[in-house]
Amino acid sequence: MRLTRAQRNLLEEGTESQRKAMQILLAVGRLAEAPRLVPITSAHVSGVSYKMIGDPGLEFLEDFARDARVAVPTTVNPLGTDLAQWQALGVPPSFAEKQGRIASAYEAMGVHRSFTCTPYLIGVRPTFGEHVAWAESSAVCFANSVLGARTNREGGPAALAAAVVGATPDYGLHRDEGREPTVIVKVGVEPRGIDYSLIGLVAGERVGDGLPFFRGFRGTEGDLKWLGAALASSGACSMFHLEGVTPEFRRARVKGLKSIAITKEDLVAAKRAHTDGTEAEMIGLGSPQLSSDELREVARLVDRTPPRIPVWVFTSRIARDANPDAVATIERRGGRVLADTCLEVTLLEHRFGTVATPSGKGAYYLPSLSRQKVVFEELQTLLERYG
Amino acid sequence: MRIRARGIVAGRASGHALVSPAPFSFVGGADPATGSILNGATGGTGERLAGRIFAFPTGKGSTVGSYVLYGLGKRGHGPAAIVNRRADAVVAVGATLAGIPMVDRVDVGGLQTGDRMVVDAGRGTVELPDIQGKRVVTAILRNRGRILIVRRSEKVGTFQGKWSAISGHIEGREDLKHRAIVEVREETGLRAITLRGTADPVLARDGTTIYIVHPFLFDTPNRRVRLDWENVEHRWIRPEELDRFETVPRLVDVVAAVFQPSA
Repeated sequence: MRLTRAQRNLLEEGTESQRKAMQILLAVGRLAEAPRLVPITSAHVSGVSYKMIGDPGLEFLEDFARDARVAVPTTVNPLGTDLAQWQALGVPPSFAEKQGRIASAYEAMGVHRSFTCTPYLIGVRPTFGEHVAWAESSAVCFANSVLGARTNREGGPAALAAAVVGATPDYGLHRDEGREPTVIVKVGVEPRGIDYSLIGLVAGERVGDGLPFFRGFRGTEGDLKWLGAALASSGACSMFHLEGVTPEFRRARVKGLKSIAITKEDLVAAKRAHTDGTEAEMIGLGSPQLSSDELREVARLVDRTPPRIPVWVFTSRIARDANPDAVATIERRGGRVLADTCLEVTLLEHRFGTVATPSGKGAYYLPSLSRQKVVFEELQTLLERYG
Repeated sequence: MRIRARGIVAGRASGHALVSPAPFSFVGGADPATGSILNGATGGTGERLAGRIFAFPTGKGSTVGSYVLYGLGKRGHGPAAIVNRRADAVVAVGATLAGIPMVDRVDVGGLQTGDRMVVDAGRGTVELPDIQGKRVVTAILRNRGRILIVRRSEKVGTFQGKWSAISGHIEGREDLKHRAIVEVREETGLRAITLRGTADPVLARDGTTIYIVHPFLFDTPNRRVRLDWENVEHRWIRPEELDRFETVPRLVDVVAAVFQPSA
């Protein structure tokens, strides 16, 4: 791989962590046969929840943080609990203590203090064509598809290495040819609500690691966030095009591509396939974390139809602080608004056995990551059913 | 013998091989405190990684595997080197963090636990000083979905009576494709064949010998085969029928390799 003088200097004369970071980028670049590193404007790092990375991750991060500093604006994924509310959630003290040490290690490296899976909702919005190095599959899908920024789906340590170096191997979705669609997906439904998640889940299963070009519907940025998160869960998709909506659909070459169809029946079947629970003990809203708008909408719905089971709402620290009224409403109705953590990386399994959620990503991962049974349904329907 | 490999993490190490025939996850696969193999499915349960050349086809499982490998290396419980068929990012990043030399594009199916090995990621080589390597080409001939297999005569030097594809030894530095075409012409009389694919070499083990098999796939316009003295019988079969025949080692893998070429 060709390196700039500055990159070569880091490799040869940097701190131990800088040299390690360069070596990681070289190893990943070699695997992908990348010709060079491309400079990035931001990084987003996964591998933060103690529930996910455990003691091996904690050990690495504390070692690495001794002399590693990020070189570009860097956000990191959600924690395994809200460190301001963990006692009330019944989280074991040892879990909270280790989670706190992971947060401190990242903060020592100079990352943004909000622990989020939606950096694009807290002001980190790379513009069209900008190169970034993001982990977290849902954020990667959003950045590539909706913003037109360019990132591969980085592994946690590789994204951290890119943050320290300020560059990432130039291959895959960083290049025009890597952003070409591989299959046309015709959707014969006018989606609303959780249909976006369902389309994502069905398409991800069928497309695998391909790049779908969707046709036949529209959606807001918020809708596409849910679609992309589900798509990146059931499939290894890091980008999609949506005809008439996403910024690169005109450039995509679709001539001669295979075409598949998604019908209303497919969505009904997918919803059934991802519902294995009956009596939910809580409603979990997040995965990805809710935006300010979504948080206020939840407060409105919960106030109108108060549920008898707790509603846990996952959002960013910034959105929580910006919406004290919505937070107060949800808490008054017996719910919680948790910041800096998210639905499937948070510790739930010590309290609950069945979770209801309208999130496709949540429905996909909760059974394996949190050993939960799932009721996958619209929020309004859930509030009425459990009201 | 010495084989080519692709360097992933720089460095050189020697030791005895520990071979897992199945993809390996360091999460759940190795005890983070001791470096013992935990997962019985991969073979070698209870074996220690420390000091070994750890060979497995590819990594699998959670990205936490990178951190586990880092911790093993830090405590001196990590392997001396890692050899893969196809490196994945989780293991490559972990090996980088732990400073463990790593290569890939080696068919670990030809290696055995206990083999003495020298891995040099900088030069891109793997050496097996106790093993004799023999380079051969194997040509899979295809016609309308069927492939040609031949039964080796009693007069040939090895694998008498076994079913095989068309193959022959490589002499010196000759062109591999040319050798494959010559073998096809000599053993079958078929001439107007078209190259359709190649693959990374398959290592076929026979005691202390490893056949470094360079696979080729050719299409032939007809099935008019005229055998020479090396074979006594031929059949055109569907690839999935191979397991009904007693074949030379790893013929199934050679066929699979050309039908699904690796990157």
